[in-house]
Amino acid sequence: MTHEAGRQRGKTAPGRMRRRDFLAHTGKAGAALAAIAGTNWLTGQAPAFAQERTLHVLEWSSFVAPADVERGRQAAEFGKQAGVKVTVEHINANDLPARATAAIEGGTGPDILQLLSNYPLLYSAGLDDHNDLIAELGGDEIYPFIREAVRDENGVHRGVPNFFGGGANVYRKDIFEEVGIAGPPATWDEYLEAGKKLKHYGMPVGQSLGHTFGDAPGFAYTLLWCFGGKEVDEGGRVALNSKETANAVDFLKEFWLAACDEGGLAWDDTSNNRAFLAETIAVTLNGASIYFVARNDPRKVAPGFADRLGHFLIPEGPHGRYHGVGPFTNCITRYSANKEAARDYIRFVHQDDNFEKFLVINKGYVNGPLPKWQEHPMWEEDPAVTIYRELPQYGRNLGYAGPYNRQSSEAFAKYIIVDLFAKAVRGDSTQSVIESAERELKAIYEA
Amino acid sequence: MQAYVGETFFKRLIVFYIPLFLFVAVMLFPFYWMFITSIKPDFELYNVRRSPFIVSQATLEHWFYLFKETMFARWAWNTLWIATASTAISLFAGILAGYSLSRLRFPGSATFGISIFITYLVPPTLLFIPLASVIANLRLLDSPWALILTYPTILVPFSAWLLMGYFKTIPRELEECARIDGATRLQAMTKIILPLGMPGILSAGIFSFTLSWNEFLYALVFISSPQQKTIPVGVVSELMKGDVFFWGSLMAGALLGSIPVAFVYSFFVENYVSGMTGAVKG
Repeated sequence: MTHEAGRQRGKTAPGRMRRRDFLAHTGKAGAALAAIAGTNWLTGQAPAFAQERTLHVLEWSSFVAPADVERGRQAAEFGKQAGVKVTVEHINANDLPARATAAIEGGTGPDILQLLSNYPLLYSAGLDDHNDLIAELGGDEIYPFIREAVRDENGVHRGVPNFFGGGANVYRKDIFEEVGIAGPPATWDEYLEAGKKLKHYGMPVGQSLGHTFGDAPGFAYTLLWCFGGKEVDEGGRVALNSKETANAVDFLKEFWLAACDEGGLAWDDTSNNRAFLAETIAVTLNGASIYFVARNDPRKVAPGFADRLGHFLIPEGPHGRYHGVGPFTNCITRYSANKEAARDYIRFVHQDDNFEKFLVINKGYVNGPLPKWQEHPMWEEDPAVTIYRELPQYGRNLGYAGPYNRQSSEAFAKYIIVDLFAKAVRGDSTQSVIESAERELKAIYEA
Repeated sequence: MQAYVGETFFKRLIVFYIPLFLFVAVMLFPFYWMFITSIKPDFELYNVRRSPFIVSQATLEHWFYLFKETMFARWAWNTLWIATASTAISLFAGILAGYSLSRLRFPGSATFGISIFITYLVPPTLLFIPLASVIANLRLLDSPWALILTYPTILVPFSAWLLMGYFKTIPRELEECARIDGATRLQAMTKIILPLGMPGILSAGIFSFTLSWNEFLYALVFISSPQQKTIPVGVVSELMKGDVFFWGSLMAGALLGSIPVAFVYSFFVENYVSGMTGAVKG
């Protein structure tokens, strides 16, 4: 191609834009847009505007509505004292992981994420170091099963557990008496015998084995532990395939058919509440929420219903008694521009006077992060919920007996232990469900 | 000629009216269930020994709760605005893309058409993570524009694909006649193709509107303040407290939330069906 030919080809028809002009114009337009929007998207620099200090806290939507109100009151009070505008947003607990994922991946969003169970370990890369706050707010006095659930493999705490919840079995005292059950069962074998009578009567045991964050894992993990099974041993090696696990699975197969409402396979955390309040089941593992509704919202139940309720601990198995306890942890995000305010907020809600109000308003649904809260007179005020005070004594976090880590969080998030039991009661053989769960656990722990 | 279904009333009853009644009853049952639940007092709602299909002491307490204790009216407005705007954007882009892919000849048009469809197959559950980053960088989080701009990522591919197929069923000769009579390409498109393609456009519009109206995940992730929420996210976050559901108010909200969509469908159902099947024959 000659030079002239090149020039001819480079000529542009009248009214048409040349490539060079196009680039120049779009470049100017982009710069203008960036300037107008004040965005750091194109320039990588933050705009120099004076900004009001704000704090965005994302929490679950508590079933105890007054607890959310109290939290809002404390946030407003803190905001007034600290000169910060605090927004506390409540969403459904099952939706917290999606919000946390988007916030951390996007590098923007709430300054404090409330994460359940050992989820802080799944998001550890996006969460701040809370070691100083942990030391300040209780240190080694904080229950180990909640403190270790937020401490990563480098010894960094990725949040501060604010409180924890757990389940006990709520039961109908009047129905137990009517069918001739002497009292709350102390062992799983006694529970099986009681369950047979209840199912024969038409009000069986109600238990979820679905993919839901609270009741199903709370039942499946503890049943496994009571019979001596565990997903990993103390060294973190997968140890599910054992005689003890097989015993637990075989027991549940019998228990499910003889004593349970078999629709529980499809239940979520709300289903047993509804079934119990509708008087179709006589006993179920739950937080104090059923009792709370029965006592405080009489329109939803028959007169005197709350007086007919009692609670008992998870029965003792061949290897003891255990309870799953789930911490609710305040985690300051790494991207937060208001970390100091966020730290002050966490200190504020952990202050004795503030936490006491929160504890009392929850009426047994939450336990404090420190043993001293078990001595609070609130636990004696209503004997029906006093038993929830005993949970720390039997509390283990998910991933027991191994170290609590990212892998145990992932196993929990995939409902491997719940599915182990769910598949068995659906009819799969004991050995096949154990081997299937073992393969999944190895893919996580030995990857 | 008028066509009769069955020769006698009895035959018509058996082969037409009874099946029609059963079909309508099944179709309308969810609406009835939502309505009956929304006016039941709690003590009836939680008592399974009562018939679930009737209410003995109707109450409006759940409706009052919905409007007084939550920001439902605001959520409804947000949902309407977001669904309308994202539908308009998606239709505009979908019409242009569908027309050019079905009518214009340019290298790679077929590949481009398939590529658009493939983007439709990317699940939002994967897409929301990178989109969150984009929306955050644009500083659009917690704004309706976060949703108005992200919904087209799922709506435009479907609309373009559907309209591309529909425009292909319109005989090319009609457009060519207009061109011979002196119409420009744009005039041929706006005066010939778009009026004939209206059933397809309405189908794409209804689909886009319904999807935007009901979308949950993006709305959950990108919107945080209560006054900016949409109906699907608002009712879930405000009427599901931990493991206790406010069933009466939830059903009232669900009923009100489903009415606009049912309304849109009822008006355009014939066009929607022909749009899905392609009705213009050459």
